Amino acid sequence: MKPSTVKIKKMPSRFKHQVPKYKITRSSDCINCGTCAKTCPYGVHERPEGHNRVNPPIDYKCIGFDCESKEFCCLAQCPRKALSLSLNPMYEALGDPRWTADMITGTWIMAETGYPPERTDLDYNVGNSGGGFDKLRFKFPANPPKVDKSEISTAIELNRRNDGRAPVVISTPVYGGGMSFGSVSLSTMVSKAHNAAIWNTFTCTGEGGFPDILKPYDDHVITQVATGLFGVREETIQRVKIIEFKYAQGAKPGLGGHLLGEKNTEGVAKMREAVKGTSLFSPFPFHSVYSIEDHKKHIDWIKQMNPIALVSVKVSTPNDVDMVAVGSYYAGAHIIHIDGGYGGTGAAPDIAKKNIAMPIEYAIVKVHNFLKAEGARDAVTLIASGGIRTAHDLAKAICLGADGAVIGTAEMVSLECVRCGNCESGRGCARGIASTDSELADLFTEEWATQRLTNMYNAWNYQLVEILQKFGMKSVKELVGRTDLLEHIDYSK
Amino acid sequence: MPKKYHIHPKVTPLEMEYLYKFKITRGENCINCGRCTKVCIYEAHKRRKGDRRKMADPNTAVCRNCFRCIQECPRGALEKSLHQDYVNISGSHWKADMFLTLWKQAEDGKVPVTGAGYRGPFTGAGFDSMWTDMSEIVRPTRDGIHGREYINTGVELGRKHNHLAFDAEGRLLTQPHTTVDIPIPVIFDIPPVQLNPNVMLALIKAASEISTCVILPAADIKPEFKTYSANIIPFITEGEIDKYADILKDSRLVAIDYTDALTDKLAAIKERIKNISNAVTIIRVPAISGIEGTVSKLVNSGAEVIQIVADYRGLEINKDKEANFKPRLMKDIIRSIHLKLVEERIRDEITLIFSGGIAMAEHVPKLMLCGGDLTAIDIPLFIALGARLYEEPEKLLLLPDGLEKLSVDIITQRMVNLMGAWHSQILEMMGAMGIREARRLRGETGRAIFFEEIDEETFGKLFKQQ
Repeated sequence: MKPSTVKIKKMPSRFKHQVPKYKITRSSDCINCGTCAKTCPYGVHERPEGHNRVNPPIDYKCIGFDCESKEFCCLAQCPRKALSLSLNPMYEALGDPRWTADMITGTWIMAETGYPPERTDLDYNVGNSGGGFDKLRFKFPANPPKVDKSEISTAIELNRRNDGRAPVVISTPVYGGGMSFGSVSLSTMVSKAHNAAIWNTFTCTGEGGFPDILKPYDDHVITQVATGLFGVREETIQRVKIIEFKYAQGAKPGLGGHLLGEKNTEGVAKMREAVKGTSLFSPFPFHSVYSIEDHKKHIDWIKQMNPIALVSVKVSTPNDVDMVAVGSYYAGAHIIHIDGGYGGTGAAPDIAKKNIAMPIEYAIVKVHNFLKAEGARDAVTLIASGGIRTAHDLAKAICLGADGAVIGTAEMVSLECVRCGNCESGRGCARGIASTDSELADLFTEEWATQRLTNMYNAWNYQLVEILQKFGMKSVKELVGRTDLLEHIDYSK
Repeated sequence: MPKKYHIHPKVTPLEMEYLYKFKITRGENCINCGRCTKVCIYEAHKRRKGDRRKMADPNTAVCRNCFRCIQECPRGALEKSLHQDYVNISGSHWKADMFLTLWKQAEDGKVPVTGAGYRGPFTGAGFDSMWTDMSEIVRPTRDGIHGREYINTGVELGRKHNHLAFDAEGRLLTQPHTTVDIPIPVIFDIPPVQLNPNVMLALIKAASEISTCVILPAADIKPEFKTYSANIIPFITEGEIDKYADILKDSRLVAIDYTDALTDKLAAIKERIKNISNAVTIIRVPAISGIEGTVSKLVNSGAEVIQIVADYRGLEINKDKEANFKPRLMKDIIRSIHLKLVEERIRDEITLIFSGGIAMAEHVPKLMLCGGDLTAIDIPLFIALGARLYEEPEKLLLLPDGLEKLSVDIITQRMVNLMGAWHSQILEMMGAMGIREARRLRGETGRAIFFEEIDEETFGKLFKQQ
């Protein structure tokens, strides 16, 4: 059930053109008769009033080979057979095996319209990585119990400890990942928080401090305590409902962060309570935590400072992630947030992103089972992140044993990130999402970005509800740990 | 604490076109409005030098794939595709992206850092089917990356005693063997192609600069290389020991080509070498089927260091040209040899070098986790200079034209940069694992996560039909 604050409104791309999947080629046989412009309902062909010639085809509007079965298809209608359709080589330059061009295009459509694409030619639910989520499929029953969509709840509780602290409930089992002040533009940061408020869920500050501009959204902000302790003050701890200890990040597990001196501008330094222009290190690990007992001490401090807030512990996925999770539970954490090795980042060594720690798919199963065996599963909330790209990934992660997920890249793609990976180099993000460059950071408004995020969250929620309906379930909580509802395309033969 | 090991990179660009990933073309319907020059922050689009009314051809070399010009061109006149060169150069092992990253590392000597998550396939062949572990909360400190604590990447080459022996009075009888220490678990292998004199000298100087060694055919070792004797490993056949006595005299290590007859004569050969110098002997064995037995016999015959050489893609060599030969991958060859020696309780006595197909920094610690002591590399050092390698229709390694005109210093620095970047990346992985001694990586499969194992344990258990 979506909160009443959610209003879906079409929010088109900032750019004139989209990246086209198809290419329409017009040969010299064309006599500029204009038939194509009349027949194509998608606006691929145009012949402006009073012009003799037809404009070059607008490729991105073409729906591709599916159109060939339609009567109005330009290929068939052209009297000279001067038009041909092929895959556009441009599309190969977009995306990669994990985030395919179809997935990026699909997410863009969701952010624009608020719903999954109507086009049937986009394989936007699964990637092409050849493993993990991309090998899992749902096993929908033939005759599920009839459930009306309005009866289905996607809400989950984040406090399952029954310890008298705030009973925090989020309306959709997803929240936004930590992106620090300075690593993304201010409009990006604020729109993430604004959307979290609209969707009654959360966003996270990352480790760069908690800017005052987020004050209106305090109830939907998780503030992070990371190893550098930048910007952590009693006041910021007391402002929020959830505080997150960040031990590690999936994209660079076991490595510290390093903010270059030149990026440590006046604003950043103030927020981080550091000296402007100096290089800032976030060490690894917490230099005051070498055991679960030390870890508990930290959690106790936070709990003392804020008597109602929940504590989340974010860890990456080493071999012993299950033991770390159980340890965190005993130390008093409400949320165990595991961040898989293929997770996103604003900057990380390529060698770490590819090679260190295990993908999230394995870690969810490991941690879920270990917590169950320990009898602790029902008392903690297990949140997965690091490679949750689509609503289907989210539902699969829940089937594997998570309660919900944190997403980062999908939010960025909603704001028209193309995953070019240049977030940190030079002036930063060329598309204005992850840049503080005065010119680039002004490429979109907070209003545009908030609506795009709200739309994307809606499309995900819509798909999740659809999945639950196909299983005949009334709550997303029924889906947790239901690996029997999944099959693996290699093993389940 | 040992002295800190540093490799000193220096930005060293080469004035040369290399591989580009993308190609942008400007269509005829461009109206020269100049919008693309405004939106591209990498300056791929500029107006023509002579005629400012027209746009110049896009400079693809600087394109970072942000798509802004494509999306913002009012006429949709710009098109982009993967560069044909980029598509063509990719092989089954040597992927196009490897060339680009090695080239970049040779230029700046830095750890490649990018934004956004990993973009490749979930798993792959060989070393791509394993991940390395990391330490979360409850392990010793791992803060070596930023230099506050020392991570030692040094390894020793030579034979070790299985146990110590004492006489009746408790006095130590065992004499320690000679070993050679190098500060990085990488040596340079025999160059895969004939080199110009300047490249050859640079290769030697680079080895010297980073305190490692290079294996060179003894016939190629010129008198003027004498200054670098400590960093050159002459490669000879057993019959050539006396012929090259002059060179061997100054060597710390010598490499001998393996023949089946060698095992029985090993003691005598070592004796002959010892008469000339104190050099430690490396025996170079091709990685053919049954290699485990060969290695085991060599260890039992007193070998000091064995180099197991796979082909340039890290595949087992098809010695008998068998039809339907299914070569094993380097990862599996290493694990199998290592395990056999462990079972025979002789693994600790020998140093094992594995080479062939080592293309990326990540391969080094992974090779060690599988059971190697160190590696020898060749092709990446030449990719640093702009070499291209094609796998199909057959192996073709092309060095760029004009290399003979480059100064020795520039070539040396490119190789040093590459190794500097590799060293830093090895530190990253060791730091994450919480391992402070490279020697401790050897065979530490507990700190590795193997795809076959974890996938079977997780998804196999859940989804395989009983």
